[in-house]
Amino acid sequence: MDGISVTLTVNGREESATVDPRTLLVHFLREELHLTGTHMGCDTSQCGACTVHLDGRPIKSCAIFTAQLDGASVTTIEGVAETGRLHPMQAAFKEHHGLQCGFCTPGMVMMGIDIANRHEAPSEATIRHELEGNLCRCTGYHNIVESIAAGARAMRG
Amino acid sequence: MYVGQAIRRREDERFLRGRGRFVEDVRLDEPIAHAAFVRSPHAHARVTRIDTEAAAALPGVLAVLTGADWTAAGYGEAEGVWPVADRSGAPARTVNRPFICVDGVVRCVGEIVAMVIAEDRHRALDGAEAVAVDYEEMPANTVTAKALDPETPLVHPALGTNEVLVTEHGLKEETEAALARAHHVTEITVPTNRVTASPIEPRCYMGHYDAVGDRYTVWTTHQAPHIVRRYFTKSLRIPEHKMRIVAPDVGGGFGMKLYHYPEEPLVLWGAIVSGRPVRWTGTRSECLLGDTHARDHHTTGRMAFDRDGRILGVAFETLGAFGAYESQWQASITNAYHFTMLSLAYDIPAIHTTVRGVYTNATPVDAYRGAGRPETVYQVERLIENGAREMGIDPMELRARNLIRPEKFPYRTAVGITYDSGDPPALMEKIKALSGYDALRAEQAARRARGEWMGIGISAFFDMAGAGPVKMMNDLGAKIGCYDVASVRVHPDGRITVFAGSHSHGQGHETTWSQIAADRLGCAIDDVDLVEGDTDRVPMGIGTWGSRSLSTAGMAVYTAADRVVAKAKRLAAHMLECAPEDLDLADGAFTVKGTDRKLACSAVANAAYHSGDRPADLEIGLEETSFFDPDDCTYPSAIHLCVVLVDLETCAVALRNYWAVDDVGTVINPMVLEGQVHGGLVQGIGQALMEECAYDPETGQYLAGTFMDYAIPHAEDVPSFGLDSHVTRALGNPLGAKGAGESGTIGAPACVANGVIDALWPLGVRQITQPMTPKKIWRAIEEAKRARH
Repeated sequence: MDGISVTLTVNGREESATVDPRTLLVHFLREELHLTGTHMGCDTSQCGACTVHLDGRPIKSCAIFTAQLDGASVTTIEGVAETGRLHPMQAAFKEHHGLQCGFCTPGMVMMGIDIANRHEAPSEATIRHELEGNLCRCTGYHNIVESIAAGARAMRG
Repeated sequence: MYVGQAIRRREDERFLRGRGRFVEDVRLDEPIAHAAFVRSPHAHARVTRIDTEAAAALPGVLAVLTGADWTAAGYGEAEGVWPVADRSGAPARTVNRPFICVDGVVRCVGEIVAMVIAEDRHRALDGAEAVAVDYEEMPANTVTAKALDPETPLVHPALGTNEVLVTEHGLKEETEAALARAHHVTEITVPTNRVTASPIEPRCYMGHYDAVGDRYTVWTTHQAPHIVRRYFTKSLRIPEHKMRIVAPDVGGGFGMKLYHYPEEPLVLWGAIVSGRPVRWTGTRSECLLGDTHARDHHTTGRMAFDRDGRILGVAFETLGAFGAYESQWQASITNAYHFTMLSLAYDIPAIHTTVRGVYTNATPVDAYRGAGRPETVYQVERLIENGAREMGIDPMELRARNLIRPEKFPYRTAVGITYDSGDPPALMEKIKALSGYDALRAEQAARRARGEWMGIGISAFFDMAGAGPVKMMNDLGAKIGCYDVASVRVHPDGRITVFAGSHSHGQGHETTWSQIAADRLGCAIDDVDLVEGDTDRVPMGIGTWGSRSLSTAGMAVYTAADRVVAKAKRLAAHMLECAPEDLDLADGAFTVKGTDRKLACSAVANAAYHSGDRPADLEIGLEETSFFDPDDCTYPSAIHLCVVLVDLETCAVALRNYWAVDDVGTVINPMVLEGQVHGGLVQGIGQALMEECAYDPETGQYLAGTFMDYAIPHAEDVPSFGLDSHVTRALGNPLGAKGAGESGTIGAPACVANGVIDALWPLGVRQITQPMTPKKIWRAIEEAKRARH
């Protein structure tokens, strides 16, 4: 099988690789770049644990081939914090106990940042609706919703 | 004091930065090969041919293995962790779940027939695709209610029956007498739907064999690494001392990640055969199919009331699904964890239950958060709810008349279990205040007048948590000792490592165990680290399940820390030339009472390892271990109340409010406690309204392939929660703590069901099988209409 050459930016760093055409972005991130914070929970884009930002918008990295991404810019959970300091959305998840096992968490944080980017002061109803593509089995969502509301406030402040 | 404080979790930062280390994240120096499995597409079939030649010839394929190879290697099977005998005293008709099909018959969809090991994921999947298997289909049954019907095909014909075992508990004659003399008897058939835990992290295993050192290592998504080690002695027959099990960060377990699943020994076998480390990560389809399923009880119940609505007795007959094989803990679910809690929060003088465990051609059933108790609460609470309405008594009032009064504790139930402490009436008062119960009933009346269907659901119960003690659990069938272990090591610089036999997969032990240790040791929480989940670092342990870790492992931390303090005090007293009882310990220093003479703990710790000047009978070192066997289980209790709105146009249920008041004894970290309750509630709500492991009853095909077919709740399906607590201390452990992990899941299915029935009672609806989907609600309303005309 012939490889396909791609060059893309991941967390601000240019990465060039020759990939098997079947390589999903999530596998490229995890296995080639060792960015294992992006998780795969369902294979079929319902759970959102694999959510990353592609050119500033959230996507499911299990549902896109790496070969499609020449020239694209990808941000993963590893890329959202400044060195040494949590991003306000990450800090809000810690403060409001928005995570338990931590597996869905990177996707939730990436989605939370996007919700905050698009809604000035998202209501509980808005946040719950916006999370239609992210599943959590531990928290019952209560504290995730509080975390995203608080994170959105902190991002504005 | 750290205990009782909402300390923010110390484990969070690595997860939030994407630095958690789950099994799929573990890297090794050698390249890791992948496993893929060939699984049965049939519910019941004879395997007439397996041709592996084409697969083995594919590039990158390292090995193709079948049941014949397994048998030739002389390997064993997954023995029961918790077998239960039949009521006759004879052993149950147990057939253990095979790791790979060895006898030429597959008995449920998804059973493993062959394994392909290849250099990467794609090549392994290509290899599995190339294995040719011929099947001869046989008749199958996946319906629990039909399992014992005479015309139903047998899952294991050699047994001559689909019945695994029959167990009977409680007071049969007294219960029948109560039913005979009752003023009113309520009867109901209440199947509990088959669901599956579905943590977001799929099961994942990696096996490694070090031929030089003759050591085996398995990284596993598991809640109890030491129990895995014990059962590798049965599967691959590896002695415990040659085996290392690592359960690193695990993405949710809920009881489901507690078994020696087929893929676990198979990847290690693959590693032994191929000479390469081998990993398998389940696809969601494989997980929905191969993760143990749960619940699936078919129950009929009768409840006897006197004229005033006091419960005189209750009798149940249950068919409890086992699936195609007896999974390792399943007999404990239908038996040990089911009958024991049938009294719930009520003073019921006579209870009797008969459970028939049955085989069907479906995925094996085992524990899932609550394990036996959600079924129990659902069955009893549905009878109470319908009974109250049939007698025209407010459901809250009828429950109030039957609650166990606080002065009755310790309260021995009619099934022979003694609840140590609790105060159900106090829980009820709190939930009435929290929810504004009287105002809700007024709102309901006003809405009904407008043709709006609002319902109020209630459930009240006790839970049996914190397994052991060892003897009690042995008597209930456990083949493992239900203790737990912790070691507290004070390093020469005074910092502390706690090693615990429990396992955290979301519960936050790094925070809560450190809270306990820091309080007992008088040190700062930041000076405490926790190690769990690696049998080379923590030699023994029993793991995390059944809301047990706090009252076993947490207590072991507490006890080991106290032993460390006792020893350190002797050394400090020697150094300060005083008596040990003259010393106070606080803020990292020993102080001579009534003086300003003090000695930093770090100085004592250093002396413990490096000074020859010590009492003659005091050993060097500062590390203590406690194997903690509690005096009793713990009996947390709770009451739940919810409000539902049923839209008669769409028959959709909107869950508007949900309140819960819990008594979990001493609370270590209220933030963690609330998180546990929230999560459990949503799983219970999912069971009530949307989740079901559905099979096609004709073909035995499993209908849930992805999260599009198996509906776990989304954020928008559930409300925010209103929680409160009321503390009565547990008497079985010095912390006074009760288990807190399962209450939400245990109470919610009954509470939501009662809410929907309350909403639709005026329309004549008396029972709807869960999950209460719009289709079932519509059908129930239509049937009720027809019945009235």
